[in-house]
Amino acid sequence: MMTAQHLTKRYGGRNGKTAVDDLTFTVRPGTVTGFLGPNGAGKSTTMRMILGLDAPTSGNVTVGGRSYAAHPAPLTEVGALLEARSVHPGRTARYHLRGLALTHGLPKRRVDEVLDLTGLTQVADRRVKGFSLGMGQRLGIAAALLGDPATLVLDEPVNGLDPEGVRWIRTLLKSLAAEGRTVLVSSHLMSEMALTADHLIVIGRGRLLADTTVTDFVRDSGAASVRVVTPDPDALTVLLQAPGVAITDTAGALDIRGTTAEHIGRTAAAHGIPLYELTPSTSSLEDAFMTLTHDAVEYTAPQGAAA
Amino acid sequence: MTATGLHRVTPARVLRSEWHKLTTLRSTWIGLGLTVVLTLGTGLLVAASYEGGGGDDDIDTVLMILLGMQFTYVVLGTLGVLTTAGEHSTGQIRATMTAVPRRLPVLWSKAAVLACAGFLTVLTANFVTFPLAQTFLTDTAHAASLTDPGVARALVTNAAGLALLGVLALALGSMLRSVPTGIGALIGLTMILPELLPLLPYDVVDDAARHFPAKAVEALTHATPQPGMPTPGAALLSMTLWTAGSLALAALLLRRRDV
Repeated sequence: MMTAQHLTKRYGGRNGKTAVDDLTFTVRPGTVTGFLGPNGAGKSTTMRMILGLDAPTSGNVTVGGRSYAAHPAPLTEVGALLEARSVHPGRTARYHLRGLALTHGLPKRRVDEVLDLTGLTQVADRRVKGFSLGMGQRLGIAAALLGDPATLVLDEPVNGLDPEGVRWIRTLLKSLAAEGRTVLVSSHLMSEMALTADHLIVIGRGRLLADTTVTDFVRDSGAASVRVVTPDPDALTVLLQAPGVAITDTAGALDIRGTTAEHIGRTAAAHGIPLYELTPSTSSLEDAFMTLTHDAVEYTAPQGAAA
Repeated sequence: MTATGLHRVTPARVLRSEWHKLTTLRSTWIGLGLTVVLTLGTGLLVAASYEGGGGDDDIDTVLMILLGMQFTYVVLGTLGVLTTAGEHSTGQIRATMTAVPRRLPVLWSKAAVLACAGFLTVLTANFVTFPLAQTFLTDTAHAASLTDPGVARALVTNAAGLALLGVLALALGSMLRSVPTGIGALIGLTMILPELLPLLPYDVVDDAARHFPAKAVEALTHATPQPGMPTPGAALLSMTLWTAGSLALAALLLRRRDV
């Protein structure tokens, strides 16, 4: 469990930039919480404050009821992957992890385990200097898992990973959450979060825009659409008319928002309208997210503004 | 999710971690290797090319043989700056401070392991160089043995002074967070400034300049202190105060600033 209360970070005095503005949220164990916002929204700054690297200007954030620095064995409480590389390029992967493990008296065996888990065993004795972005990312995740922590804080973990790596991260995060851990993972890609996260915390310009489940966000954003191809679009359009339902006819296909594929299928079947295609799509989720965060530039959005 | 009590961060563990980190970087071995090679090489070269009767007779025998410490000064200084500023420039500092969020044990441990490695390396270089160089100096004005008054002491205090200098550089690196700026500050403040200060017409400035690190280390390298030069004890005290002061300031900033 992680709790941020009125977390605020301002740089450079009175007229300085406010990176994080009065952020209040809770991250619960057992689910993957996506921390979403465009670049520069304050995600990394928030994560640095969680880890005690940056001190909040006001407010506070606790993990497991205590500030990060107050934990006697922090690596066993919180594992972190930060966006910027946090490794000396002159050391080998194994020596880097060993250096961290020694601060907590973690055994050498544990270093081997996380190297194995992240698929780095083959390159463990190579200097990090020669690592690709993806290998560097895997090393960062190995470091995060080192202390077998109850909470994970990962900043843009899929950055630089190939499709196989992206899938691996997704599976890993879900299994970590399924073990009862608290998982906070940031991204600027809504589509990635829709696949990985259960819960969403959306920020823009340092402010909280939405604190909701992925399902609710998708539904409420109106971004989920269903593509329908039918020989009788007019009849189906009439049947589906309802408040909140938007239907557009595009080049022989209907783009329907505000209802589910199941409802459309049942309606069509009940009235004997044949369907050639019935495809739920969340491809415009990214657009909904862009709209939401774009608004943050002009308006002060209260909590739950996505609704 | 490991039992927390078993794996708490302790000063001894941070010390082991920092020792591991120092010894797993190539730059450390290059720096310490250079220290030995340059001390020995310069010492032998100076001794082998020595001809009595020149202006070299006035110079202290230990100082003459350890002329290579000019290199060591810069090499250990650079290693000191790299230990701290190098972590900032590479981003390693974020991993380090995430593992030890109380921060200060890291600074103390870094200082301790660098001082230890630097002291032992210079001490070894000195005690190998001096007797070997002496084989060229039999029957000259600079013939001396380790048992002569002040010689062994000067070889030890030189190593201590240079080790403290390394820690001073480490503190500067921690404050400035940039390798080039750190090395520049080290050379500017400890080597160039004491040469410029005596140009000012104030006696007190003159006295102070004699206690600047480069001058203090030079004084610590004399078997027989010269008139107008701080005694070995006073020079060692100066070096300790410079280093402790810088380290305290670095600690204060490390606690207060964002990483």
